[in-house]
Amino acid sequence: MSLFDSISVSASGLTAQRQRAEVLVENIANADTTRTAGGGPYRRKDVVFESQSTGEPFSSVLQNQMDDQPKGVAISQIVTDQSEPDKRYMPGHPDADKDGYVAFPKVNPAEDMVDLMGASRAYQANVSAISAVKDMISRSMDLFH
Amino acid sequence: MLDQLSNQLDSYLTLVSQRQKLVASNIANADTPGYKTKDIDFEAQLHAALQTGGANPSPSAITVPGLRVKNDGNNVDLDRESRLLSENAMRFNMATQFLRANLKDLHTAISGGAGA
Repeated sequence: MSLFDSISVSASGLTAQRQRAEVLVENIANADTTRTAGGGPYRRKDVVFESQSTGEPFSSVLQNQMDDQPKGVAISQIVTDQSEPDKRYMPGHPDADKDGYVAFPKVNPAEDMVDLMGASRAYQANVSAISAVKDMISRSMDLFH
Repeated sequence: MLDQLSNQLDSYLTLVSQRQKLVASNIANADTPGYKTKDIDFEAQLHAALQTGGANPSPSAITVPGLRVKNDGNNVDLDRESRLLSENAMRFNMATQFLRANLKDLHTAISGGAGA
């Protein structure tokens, strides 16, 4: 339990938000991808956050024994959207089915952009927390000058 | 540590840094579904620390009541957390200034006034 642990907690927030931003950017980039390795159009992905203890294995085991300790965050899973893709009538398209419809990913770029802004703001908040704690640490080192 | 005042400042600094860790944890979990904002009962913990002469190394965290719960069960309010973040940093700065002055007085006494 020290100020350095706070930095680990905020750093876990940075990692999680960055991964979230990566997934969102992937969604935006693939908003019109009709062909993937697994077949069919690209499917939208989303991250699920879960709070998780940070730090050394020993201290995290100890922390799990004690309730209500401060926790960091991690991505527990990345879920893929399983809903039906959007169909657009494009008979000339190479990926069109026999009726001339092409399956497009169900990605709403506006929704992903808003989420991306949220991820970016949350990243900033974690950076502010790190610099506040860093300032506190350097203040306590200045005590002996 | 050295005298009663620096002991009290020590407890205060410990509590502020414990609180800052919870704030960092709340900010990190601002988007975690079901996460509830945590804090320590600062006044009560400080009172107990001043009574017993030392801060509790692992004070019990409480969930903060009265915050708006979002649809995913999360109730982190980033405005509250950023206010606490800067408030804690300022409190910490203030206490280190006091402690510094206290140590400087001690240094003056050790050096017979020469280092003042």
